[in-house]
Amino acid sequence: MQFLVIGMIAVVGAAYLARRFSQSGLKPAFGAVVGAVVGMIGSAALMIPLDWCTFDPDRTATDMGFGILLMAATAALALGATGWIAGNLAARRTVFSGGTQPGTFKGWLTPWILLAPTIGVLALFLYYPSLDTFRLSTLLALLGAPRTRFICVDNFTRLATDTVYLNSVATTILISIAIVVISLVLSLFIASMVYLPIKGASVYRTLLIWPYAISPAVAGVIFLLLFNPTGGIINYALNNLFGLRIPWLNDPAWAPWAVIIASVWKSLGYNILFYLAGLQNVPKDLIEAAAIDGANALQRFRQVVLPMLSPITFFLVITNMTYAFFETFGTIDYLTGGGPLNSTTTMMYNIFLVGIRNNDLGKAAAQSIVLFVLVIGFTVLQFRTAGQRVTYGA
Amino acid sequence: MRKSLLLVVALSLLLGVMPAAAQTKIDVPVWIAFTDAIRLGWAQDRAAEFNAMHPEYNVTVQGYANYEELFAATALAAEQGSLPAVVQYFEVATQNARDSGYFKSIADALAGRTEVLGHEVNLDDFIAPVSAYYTLDGKFTSMPWNTSSAIWFSNMNYLNAAGVEIPSTWAEVEAACEAIMALENAPEYCFTFPNHGWFFEQWIAQQNGVYANNDNGRSARATEVLLGGEAGVALLNWLDDMAAKGYLYYSGAQGGASWGTVDQAFQSQQVAMAAYSSSDTAVYTQTGIDNGFEVVASFLPYNQETGWTGNLIGGASLWLVDGLAPEVEDGALGYLLYITNAENAASWHQVTGYIAIRQSAIDLLTEQGWYDENPNFRVASDQLSQSTVTVATSGAILGGFPSIRNVVTQAVDTVLLTDQPAEAVLANAIASANAILTEYNLLYAE
Repeated sequence: MQFLVIGMIAVVGAAYLARRFSQSGLKPAFGAVVGAVVGMIGSAALMIPLDWCTFDPDRTATDMGFGILLMAATAALALGATGWIAGNLAARRTVFSGGTQPGTFKGWLTPWILLAPTIGVLALFLYYPSLDTFRLSTLLALLGAPRTRFICVDNFTRLATDTVYLNSVATTILISIAIVVISLVLSLFIASMVYLPIKGASVYRTLLIWPYAISPAVAGVIFLLLFNPTGGIINYALNNLFGLRIPWLNDPAWAPWAVIIASVWKSLGYNILFYLAGLQNVPKDLIEAAAIDGANALQRFRQVVLPMLSPITFFLVITNMTYAFFETFGTIDYLTGGGPLNSTTTMMYNIFLVGIRNNDLGKAAAQSIVLFVLVIGFTVLQFRTAGQRVTYGA
Repeated sequence: MRKSLLLVVALSLLLGVMPAAAQTKIDVPVWIAFTDAIRLGWAQDRAAEFNAMHPEYNVTVQGYANYEELFAATALAAEQGSLPAVVQYFEVATQNARDSGYFKSIADALAGRTEVLGHEVNLDDFIAPVSAYYTLDGKFTSMPWNTSSAIWFSNMNYLNAAGVEIPSTWAEVEAACEAIMALENAPEYCFTFPNHGWFFEQWIAQQNGVYANNDNGRSARATEVLLGGEAGVALLNWLDDMAAKGYLYYSGAQGGASWGTVDQAFQSQQVAMAAYSSSDTAVYTQTGIDNGFEVVASFLPYNQETGWTGNLIGGASLWLVDGLAPEVEDGALGYLLYITNAENAASWHQVTGYIAIRQSAIDLLTEQGWYDENPNFRVASDQLSQSTVTVATSGAILGGFPSIRNVVTQAVDTVLLTDQPAEAVLANAIASANAILTEYNLLYAE
């Protein structure tokens, strides 16, 4: 079975690279040979360490499908990279940098010596653990256990039927979108207000940015006290004013909002700071020109200011999305602990629950790899779609 | 002349003795999971006294932030071959401690001796529920130290105003709640409890419900989780009913985070009653004094349909590391026996609220009139000493217990927040717990 898959990928690879090579002015036959070889190597890249276990006779169809998907994905990556490098080589460009520039090192040794500490630290504390995560994700591994057991891709395929996990994916998406949208709209609104020349502006600008300096965990503790259903000040005020008591932390419909409000509050200062800087860079003459043409304040904002701010908005969408994915952890941990009914268990928090609370390293490793792939995919998508509509400069 | 001779003799003695003494000091490192001045300080004071009694020994006590952190530090130390002499493990890590192979049972280390370094052994003096929990395969395995039980605290201002007695059964809790919630100045809710796996275990043990197969994992390795079966369903139904009637306050917090939410609700008088650990008896009693209400502790209410069999213990015990040099092992045993002797067990109880684990300590405290003056402090030990020791009330020993507890608190969460029937929720929880146990046994069992 696996040989059939390799063969098919090799054929596809040969066809693909033959086309790429001829487009770049290279010999298509050469491309076909390279494509077949790269396709074969690429498809086997993950399967050799896995020992082709997804094709074992006692494995389910899901496992086999997942294995084929893995082979196709690694082969596609390898082929894409080869095609790109070949294209650049054919165009007589160096692959990575644009040739010698002033201020570059003459020898090869000095830069490497200077880079060595950074690379050493990265390799030891980032690359090695990341690679080890891949190994762990194929194991049944408990923290402190005397042995581990190889279980192929079970940690991945089981996620498809794990309701808690699937629920956490939906929760992550909903909470993240809410945080980004609310935070950006609110901070742009506040920044526009703060931008107005008023007495004492510098003082309250500083005050507005303060929340950013607080760690997510502290924000969690602050809001835990504020939101507490029985003794919290928010419910005390709501009760006195409107006779309302909202089950902020113990109702699955409300708890995500508690997390969203705390996270928005936390990221507001950062966003305001960037929007303020952006607003100061919007050329006055453009706004004046629009005003002379008869555009009212709202039109000027929509037609002139907003497009001029689009690079900052794009940047903030990316950073806020990253924040919502990874940095809300501390807030969630202190505020709700992922509950009630897992309504605030994001993918990141679920990894913590599985890996640290339950000591289940293998399953947590698999989940973190899925998150890793999703975030890469999401970022690429962002750059492809939103990135094109961004105006840099007038 | 005589003076200088004396000086010379003294000097030569000092010079001769000092290096020898420095060489023969035997280090006995002890790791515990407390960092607070009261508990870590208490253990360090006892170590200082022990070192003064036995100048050849140097017992040092090091504190870690919590059980989980100490658990991880121990696993790491074992890999590096730098284990201390004694480690404190919480009760649910007992199976893990047993499987890790790091530890030696106290009974094996004592090898029938009746005293070590002049400290009396007398293991029969430990009260029955305590020795039952830490006796594995018929052997006294680890040294009990900080032992607690789940008890019930009542805010008497509300109970007196409503004219109700402190409830002792689930039905009485409901009746009391009806009266309390009918008060003009009724609290927001009637009662609460921490959604911590330990309380589920307590309430099913009271009904003589068994948590895991093979006699709660005591006659052989547990291979199947039962979660009390009928007893578990009865408990979930009662909690669900109490929440539906608006009596039970559920904060939504689970596990370790749940304690604080109960503290807050009880302290701010938003609830009239709360289930809690006896380890905080001193704090709860004082809370009432500080806020102007009387706090009375009582047994944890039980299911009147099944009656009360007993309650199980909580807390942690001290494990002796295997493969120590004989003199280090004796020093460690000596220290363990010293801090758990009658006087020290009594003092530990008084400063913390953990129960007095020896009958002789209880007798001593009774003699001093401590329990008469502080009736709240006797509730936990009475509850434990009146418990019938059965498989259920001995408590479960099983692998992956800390993770299984998370499954159980999730089940309670689901029952309280959704309309799913208790039977189905418990069946799902059992399936998840069994998956955890099976994987644990795959990796740990021989």
